[in-house]
Amino acid sequence: MTFAAMVFAAAEDGVDAGKAVALALGIGLGALGAGVGIGNIFGSMIQAVARQPELRGELTGIQWLGFALTEAVVFYGLIGGLLAFVLV
Amino acid sequence: MKRALAAVIGLALTLSGTAFASTVEGGKEEDFDPSHEWLLHDWIPIHLGPINLSITKAVAYLILASLLTMLLGWFLMRWRLGTDPGNRQTAGEWIYEIAQTQVAEQGLPTKSIARWFPYVASLLIFVFVVNLIGFIPLPLSDEKFELFGVELPTLGIYAATSTLSVTLTLALLTFVFTHVEGIRHNGVAGYFKSWIPDVPKPMYPLIVPLEILGQFMRLISLSVRLYANMLAGHMLILTFIGLIFVLENVFLAVVAVPFAWAFYLFEILIVVGIQAYIFAALTAIYIGSAIEPEH
Repeated sequence: MTFAAMVFAAAEDGVDAGKAVALALGIGLGALGAGVGIGNIFGSMIQAVARQPELRGELTGIQWLGFALTEAVVFYGLIGGLLAFVLV
Repeated sequence: MKRALAAVIGLALTLSGTAFASTVEGGKEEDFDPSHEWLLHDWIPIHLGPINLSITKAVAYLILASLLTMLLGWFLMRWRLGTDPGNRQTAGEWIYEIAQTQVAEQGLPTKSIARWFPYVASLLIFVFVVNLIGFIPLPLSDEKFELFGVELPTLGIYAATSTLSVTLTLALLTFVFTHVEGIRHNGVAGYFKSWIPDVPKPMYPLIVPLEILGQFMRLISLSVRLYANMLAGHMLILTFIGLIFVLENVFLAVVAVPFAWAFYLFEILIVVGIQAYIFAALTAIYIGSAIEPEH
């Protein structure tokens, strides 16, 4: 294999590696943020119910709304990573 | 007895998974690629000029889901209602109550509940049904297998909501209704003025573009949330099962199939319901906040 061919092969591998890194970073960083956020929401919910158990019914709706809004952050990361993976 | 039954069913499903793996190892046709599951082929081509209205897998699922939604509503909430409700009627009333107290009354102002409750409630049930039939193996797929000489479509799981165009259409409906209702109740000038928050005048060039951008981000977040949730759920299950084929090792099924099961249960028990609820609740909140701006 000539030197030029080796460089080209390495560059090809580099593109693939970059795609994989983009996908992994998208999901990983998204999951990092959402993990903190979801933990916060459920923690606050537990505290709130412990203090005022009679509000549980009203709080549950807000809790799931907050959960879904936060959880969506993972998927924005995932979509960004998939876009990088597919389009580049 | 129930436990024994569950164990037998689990074993049968696991064994069938390994059986598939062995056949693929024998006659290998093409490389496994999870994204092939989301390719939409025209089953019945309908082209109107540049617009492609063909019946594809997603359209077939949508038609099935809308029929099921209507049937469900009729069966649970219209058919043979009495003063002494049985299980069926109780379930119907439970769904109705969730749609009313948890979705409509959370977001919509009292004066417009009568007008927008039907939209929000049918959105809740429709998205729920589309999501749920996406997890039931149905003979609606592009791949065929041969059984006693007859070509049958393989059983596959696919949710129409894991296609961006479907969720984007639903989000666009909400987007249009939001602004139409806002203008109808507050007038054009009054409605657009309500977008601008209470900030000092010099801040306007910074805040106003952000607020306008925010209105369009709602469209993206509403559609991408549902789409990506369903896509990721299906892809997780597919990837775990696919590990058996990619690494070509039957014994991986011992690990991969239970994991796929766990994600499957998580999806049908939690994600499906929550996503439908969120979609309907956010729609109600958006429409409600357009009808009655905060200031």
